[in-house]
Amino acid sequence: MSNEKSSAVAAQHFLLRRLHSLTGIVPIGVFLIAHLTTNSSLLWGKIGLRGEPGPDGQPYTFQDGGVAYFWKEVFWINSQIPHLLLIEITLWVSIAFHSILGWYYATTGKSNVKRYPHQDNWRYSLQRWSGYIGIFFIFYHVATLRWGWTWLVPSGTKWSHDYSVSTLAAALQGSTEGWTAAGLLVSLFYFVGITLLVFHFANGLWTAAITWGLTVSEAAQKRWGFVCAALGVGMMGLAWASLYGALAVNPQDARVVEEQLLESKGKSGVPTPTGRETAAPADGD
Amino acid sequence: MVAPSKPVTSKPDEVKPEMGRTVRFTIHRCDGPGKAARWESFDVPIEPGSNIISVLQYIAAHPVTIEGKRTTPVVWDSGCLEEVCGACTMVINGRVRQSCSCLIDHIAPRNGDEVTLEPMSKFPVVRDLWVDRERLFYNLRRVKAWVPIDGTYDLGAGPTENPDKQETRYKLSTCMSCGCCLEACPQFNLEEDPEHWDSAFIGAHAISQARLFNEHETGKQLKRDRLDELMGPGGVSDCGNAQNCVKVCPKEIPLTESIGAMGRAVTIHSLARFFAGKK
Ligand code: HEM
Ligand code: HEM
Ligand code: SF4
Ligand code: SF4
Ligand code: FES
Repeated sequence: MSNEKSSAVAAQHFLLRRLHSLTGIVPIGVFLIAHLTTNSSLLWGKIGLRGEPGPDGQPYTFQDGGVAYFWKEVFWINSQIPHLLLIEITLWVSIAFHSILGWYYATTGKSNVKRYPHQDNWRYSLQRWSGYIGIFFIFYHVATLRWGWTWLVPSGTKWSHDYSVSTLAAALQGSTEGWTAAGLLVSLFYFVGITLLVFHFANGLWTAAITWGLTVSEAAQKRWGFVCAALGVGMMGLAWASLYGALAVNPQDARVVEEQLLESKGKSGVPTPTGRETAAPADGD
Repeated sequence: MVAPSKPVTSKPDEVKPEMGRTVRFTIHRCDGPGKAARWESFDVPIEPGSNIISVLQYIAAHPVTIEGKRTTPVVWDSGCLEEVCGACTMVINGRVRQSCSCLIDHIAPRNGDEVTLEPMSKFPVVRDLWVDRERLFYNLRRVKAWVPIDGTYDLGAGPTENPDKQETRYKLSTCMSCGCCLEACPQFNLEEDPEHWDSAFIGAHAISQARLFNEHETGKQLKRDRLDELMGPGGVSDCGNAQNCVKVCPKEIPLTESIGAMGRAVTIHSLARFFAGKK
């Protein structure tokens, strides 16, 4: 009881719990919103270009516009954001922290949806299952696309900034020449992973408001529930648009657009993020 | 051994109860701690207005299973018989509730209907449907769910109470420590070893009672102790927001509001501690 239990233990338990809640929102959730917005530009990029033509002066087709816009976004992120590696490491550490603690917390409960099949109870269980499966998705995703573990990629291709669309499409479709069975599996895994994680974030945002005591009354919890549901639906749209964009694009067609963009960046003397693939001199980092 | 029938959800007053009907009761039985459990079924003639307790009384007088085997009377716990003591709580047709206020006319209106009875699963079974709810009361002590007025001299009149707060408190004060909210909670699980009670999840009832006494002008004196306890292992942050508790509470206590309110209190308490540098 409280007089026997040291309040240091209490404070530490509390801090870990609240850090778990916080990391789910900042930085992970905020990153997710930005990440899905960027990725979905594979689909809506042509609109984002606002009529801007390709380096050859020709207007882009709808598909190529998406490729070009996404490519420029990736280029911008990797050349303009300072201390990017530091930001990335913060993100990875946050994900590791949240997942390890989340996994442990999830094992302290015993799901009982059979007996109490309420909607809230279903979300409680789904929150845990989406966490369990989500971490495998994130790990596979980051290992293959960011850390370059090409042995896990059916096409064996390595994701690169310079060829951000074609290598993404190849990784998901299974080869640079179109669909393979392994590609289908990877894509299916993506569909499940992103769907569950968007749910996890939207529902987590709803529970976080109770955890921190922002929503107390039942009416407030309900109102906030609508906000979270709307955000979740919107993000689900972005997530599915991202996946659709990556699956619809032909890696070889994308490659043509990328080469064109690389060449024009090279001519203008702007170093590409990796600085290697173009002839332009990049003087120091 | 009989398998339990599929849990039937009670839909009160949907069907007009048949007179002179017989209902089959399948009961999860256990002779004592550590003993093997078994299912036994009994056919019971139903009188108008009877409840689970009167059925158990009938079985005690006629302890013969449907196979015609003579057995021991089924043991259960009860007190008030008017849904205010909480002692008779059990799992009826898969859902936790008080057996005294559970009318057979509501849950089994037809001849041949089946009802399953199980003890609560989150507390150790003493015998049959009787469980030991000691941990529930222990958890109330963890949050000092009382008003500190004991002493050796007259403390005089207490401070004036705010009528708004009184209204909030009234609803919370109707908790009868029945354990429904704990039985339905996925975060509150059986813990037979009292050594672990201090760090296992405290439960919605205790969180709500901490709020009740923190809202009381005199009870407030122990506010910090209560919040310290709720910050610690097994405290309010171990709730997973499944919100089953509020749906099964027979007194319709706004438990999830209490959880939000205590989440807020603990947030403020910890910030105050951090910035003011003391408890
Ligand atoms: C990858 C493995 C993950 C696991 C195992 C996991 C697990 C969990 C669990 C069990 C909870 C509920 C905590 C509780 O109610 O006590 C939770 C909450 C949460 N998670 Fe995750 N999670 C994971 C990833 C993520 C990701 C990628 C995000 C962001 C997109 C995220 C955002 C959240 C948020 C915002 C909450 C709400 C915190 C609260 O209720 O206070 N989680 N997570
Ligand atoms: C279909 C949807 C998605 C696509 C097309 C996609 C695409 C990508 C790409 C191309 C990268 C490599 C970026 C780089 O290395 O600079 C990446 C990195 C990453 N993605 Fe995704 N992603 C998707 C969904 C998600 C989801 C749902 C999450 C869950 C949180 C996620 C988390 C991450 C993380 C953590 C990184 C590493 C970021 C870094 O360190 O720079 N992605 N993603
Ligand atoms: S809201 Fe919390 S206390 Fe209530 S049933 Fe869910 S986990 Fe248990
Ligand atoms: S809060 Fe409700 S369900 Fe829980 S012990 Fe009290 S009366 Fe029973
Ligand atoms: S006997 Fe008291 S609540 Fe049922």
